[in-house]
Amino acid sequence: MSDFITLTITAMVPFLFVAQGTMLSGRAGIFNVSQEGLMLLGAAIGYLVSLKWGGNLVGLLVAALAGAAFGAILGWATTYLRMDQFVVGLALFFLSGGTASLLYRVVIGADEPPRIRPLPDIVFGQDVLVFVAIGLSALLWWWLYRTDSGMRLRSVGENPKAADSLGINVTRTRMLAASLGGGLMAVGGAYLPMAFSGVYADGIVAGRGWLAIALAFFGGWRPQLILAGSLFFAAMDVLAQRAQVSGIGIPHQFVSMLPYVATLLVMIFAFRWALVPQFLGKNYDRESRITG
Amino acid sequence: MSTVTVAARPSVGERAKAAGVAAIPYILAVLVAFVVVAIIIALLGHDPAKAFRAVLTNSFRNRTGMVQTLHKWVPLTLLALAFAIPLGAGRFNIGGEGQMILGATGAVAMGILLSDLPTVVLLPLLIVAGVAAGALWAGISAWLMQQFKVNEILSTVLLNFVSFEILDYLASVVWSDPGAGGAVTTAIGAGGELPRIGKPPMHIGVILVALLAIAAAFYARRSVAGFELRAVGLNERAAKLHGIRTGKVAVMSMIVAGALAGLAGAIEVAGVHHRMLEGIQSNFLILGIIIGLIARGSLTAVPFVAFGIAVLEVGAGSMQRTSGAPVEMVLILEGLILLFLLMSDWVTDQLRLRASRKAAA
Repeated sequence: MSDFITLTITAMVPFLFVAQGTMLSGRAGIFNVSQEGLMLLGAAIGYLVSLKWGGNLVGLLVAALAGAAFGAILGWATTYLRMDQFVVGLALFFLSGGTASLLYRVVIGADEPPRIRPLPDIVFGQDVLVFVAIGLSALLWWWLYRTDSGMRLRSVGENPKAADSLGINVTRTRMLAASLGGGLMAVGGAYLPMAFSGVYADGIVAGRGWLAIALAFFGGWRPQLILAGSLFFAAMDVLAQRAQVSGIGIPHQFVSMLPYVATLLVMIFAFRWALVPQFLGKNYDRESRITG
Repeated sequence: MSTVTVAARPSVGERAKAAGVAAIPYILAVLVAFVVVAIIIALLGHDPAKAFRAVLTNSFRNRTGMVQTLHKWVPLTLLALAFAIPLGAGRFNIGGEGQMILGATGAVAMGILLSDLPTVVLLPLLIVAGVAAGALWAGISAWLMQQFKVNEILSTVLLNFVSFEILDYLASVVWSDPGAGGAVTTAIGAGGELPRIGKPPMHIGVILVALLAIAAAFYARRSVAGFELRAVGLNERAAKLHGIRTGKVAVMSMIVAGALAGLAGAIEVAGVHHRMLEGIQSNFLILGIIIGLIARGSLTAVPFVAFGIAVLEVGAGSMQRTSGAPVEMVLILEGLILLFLLMSDWVTDQLRLRASRKAAA
């Protein structure tokens, strides 16, 4: 049982980072859909930098910077150029995913990849990023709901015109949220080779990026509920693996389906819970006279 | 601001000129993307000319390459249409692979359960089952979107994951082929296989989809439904005020998309694999989205863009073998073409703005 909890908490970490990153961008109105690619990029950079240029910490940092750069491109293209958020997000998904495989191929080639050292455990058999991820969720909640700047950020996602009229810089807020969000997504990806496999592979992300989007919706774009949702998704993931290995009476495929079906049910039945930022995915044009 | 003038129908020459001007951003985007990729390939220490020659000529050097390309073109076109049609109504269908898998499931169910039937009965049954299953799967998302306002991006992505588990369950438990090793079903009855023609054999799904693509392009341009679709996509509020039932149009666009993706799944089963296997969806969803976006939602452009992408995809392996440039370059190339095309929009807008300012001054 304690084994189950340990595994669940480790499995939760990537979900948590990426879903909180999605939430943070989304609360400012930027709907990022390049998670899958950014995680792959984070995984590749995290792995390669850890291996070649000194340790996991540097790897995480460089991955975060790369993710933030891609996030900033999304922010720039959707604020200054007012391009379609979803289309740009998809283009960045392809580019970051392709760049990830390419970087790996160039540095490692077709050889047997060496394993990187896993993140060291600190307490309760959990590595440091577990605590960072949970602390980050608390921090985000505090920032968004207990500080002025957090409320300003949320107001940009709810009604940018009103925010603008109160002197909040919508463009700058969105750039910041998009960059921070992208950085978190890449960190979530970089965690994968460091905690699980020790190596990078093109299939390492395995849909977790798309699931993080689902998680953001599942948690009603609120950090505390996203934490709970990530725990649930991770527990189902571990349960499905267990069912696959030892069998628990029902086919493991049906256990694996549960988080997806649960998310859809939440979206259907939990109207009040499943709030979505009003301006999610919509660009703000301060010259436009049509209010959203 | 602009004045509204009712223009006479443009002459053929004017329309050709307009098409030519419209093609400039495409050509530039493709050229710039190729140049950037050439620089990357050169930096990696490979020969870009050799790489591009390999990637571009592989499909045309012999008939095998051509048939490979056309076989790839079929699902690419269908999935690109499955993305582009809801896009016309301003909806995003990211569920192409789930709908395709359900289509394959419907087809393989018919092919295995009714394997003794003759071709005239089984083949149409198999195709219809695939189309219906795909439409049904997309119908769930459409219903959730219409009835409960569930974001269609979210529901289609989630249903993709559900479909992977369905595929895994069917292929590794229910109809598993124990001899195959891995999640693979047993083969469908011979009556369910699409006839093949020519040498090397090409399945006739290619012809079917070519006809379908032409029909779709004409239908989108000439029919009331096509007009309503565009009206909803351009301005949903205005369309609603003019009496178009916007909800119905959006739902129908999703269901048609599901049917097309389901057809892709059925053709993959009946024409290519003759069974269902894990990974049957390949990366057709991503490529379908790229194609749909490069074609900018134009159903007429989709088959041509799909052919270009199919050439690149088939040539990727050959590029790596002959020049050493990694296959990933092809994905980067495709992503860059899309990104530069998007950028070109902004550039044309700026140029137009500057021209109108100059005219006003």
